[in-house]
Amino acid sequence: MREAVAAAASAVTELVGDRAGDWDRTGRLPEDVVRKLAAAGQLSAQIPADHGGPGWNSADSGEFTAHVGSLCSSLRSVMTSQGMAAWTVERLGDPAQAADLLPRLASGDLAAVAFSEAQAGSDLSAIEATVTVDGDSLLLTGRKKWVTAADYADLFLVVARMAEGGAVVVVPRTAPGVRVRRVADPLGCRAAGHADLAFDEVRLPLGSLLGGGRQPLPLLVTTALAYGRISVAWGCVGILRACVAAAAGHAGTRHQFGRPLAQHQLVARHLADLWTAEQIVTRACEYASRCWDDNAADLATAIVLAKYVGAEHAARGAAAAVQVLASAGAQDGHVVARAYRDAKLMEIIEGSNEVCQLILADHALSRR
Amino acid sequence: MTTSSNRPAPESTGDPGTVQTDLLRFLEKRTGRVWATDADVFGTGGLSSLFAMELVVHLERTYGISVRGADLRMENFRTVLQMAALVERLRPPASGGPGA
Repeated sequence: MREAVAAAASAVTELVGDRAGDWDRTGRLPEDVVRKLAAAGQLSAQIPADHGGPGWNSADSGEFTAHVGSLCSSLRSVMTSQGMAAWTVERLGDPAQAADLLPRLASGDLAAVAFSEAQAGSDLSAIEATVTVDGDSLLLTGRKKWVTAADYADLFLVVARMAEGGAVVVVPRTAPGVRVRRVADPLGCRAAGHADLAFDEVRLPLGSLLGGGRQPLPLLVTTALAYGRISVAWGCVGILRACVAAAAGHAGTRHQFGRPLAQHQLVARHLADLWTAEQIVTRACEYASRCWDDNAADLATAIVLAKYVGAEHAARGAAAAVQVLASAGAQDGHVVARAYRDAKLMEIIEGSNEVCQLILADHALSRR
Repeated sequence: MTTSSNRPAPESTGDPGTVQTDLLRFLEKRTGRVWATDADVFGTGGLSSLFAMELVVHLERTYGISVRGADLRMENFRTVLQMAALVERLRPPASGGPGA
């Protein structure tokens, strides 16, 4: 890890301290923790330096994301949302929008990206939220579900239908007609500020459409999700690293039948599989980040592969870690209990396992 | 460096016909099918949105362009002809050309 990344990693270790379990139990991240990281640009470390961001590459940003994920997946989820919002602005926005929004996202403003709706989860072609031009302004109407980090956000990037295509609309939380309702008791990433959003004829300036809108909906979604998926995959590396540390620590010190747990072969196998999972997912993420940094042709597939491999291994690995710690870890707030619930969510968000499988199968077929 | 030698790469892909040929080759390699320059690659039985992203990356990487914002419209990617036109529009003018 480069020096700047290592420094940021130790700072965030200190900032989180031993509080992640409490955040999980109470379902809240302290506002000052989120704002402090946002103000340092560390929730979206790939914002280019000429827009006031740290300008890290994907490899460094990924290692940092994994580190935060090893401490607290809720905080890492907020980071994924902020980074995805920034990337969406960078990619889809025009230069003036990038010059306005990216410095704000690099210096303390928080953003969330709203895709899902009641009838549009995996099938985002079913999105009903609609933006129309009304005179010299826009009108946005629709409902969004399960928007990660929305409860902390100042800005929402809302994916909507526009004429024959789609658009991403930048909506200030304070705009009249916006309502935010926190999701109660999510299964995992409990402090990530998931919320449902309602937009009732929200009137916005024309400049709120990233790149003028009317872009193809699938391309908008795939572009935004590219960042979300690679970030979630690195987050899964973090979950696995936390599980390896907890399981190895426990199995090396707890004695049963007169010897450490780790010297019982069935437990040792769990440790081997956990460490192997962490290595596999790390390699898949490193490859995807290298493709990102080189803008390699294989990028789109490498990202889905990393996300799929990451989520599956994290879910299986976290279950194994709970098995090794048993009653010592089977309590809300414990690192492996959090990992178990958080990893399950990773198999669902930013493209479920099954959606990733369909994409990868399609890729395999097209390469015949 | 004050020698008169220029990097040869930009000139070698300078004409629109070459861009079209290259794109047709890329599509055929990637899909195992032969495409016409005016075929709708995202139409019925066509390619996925993931492939749209792959195409964007390929164009950026091969021609040193950046496809952002308003240029990310499907009408710029639907056919080889449209993609070649997008490349022409976004590519920096060849060195020695007007305004250099």
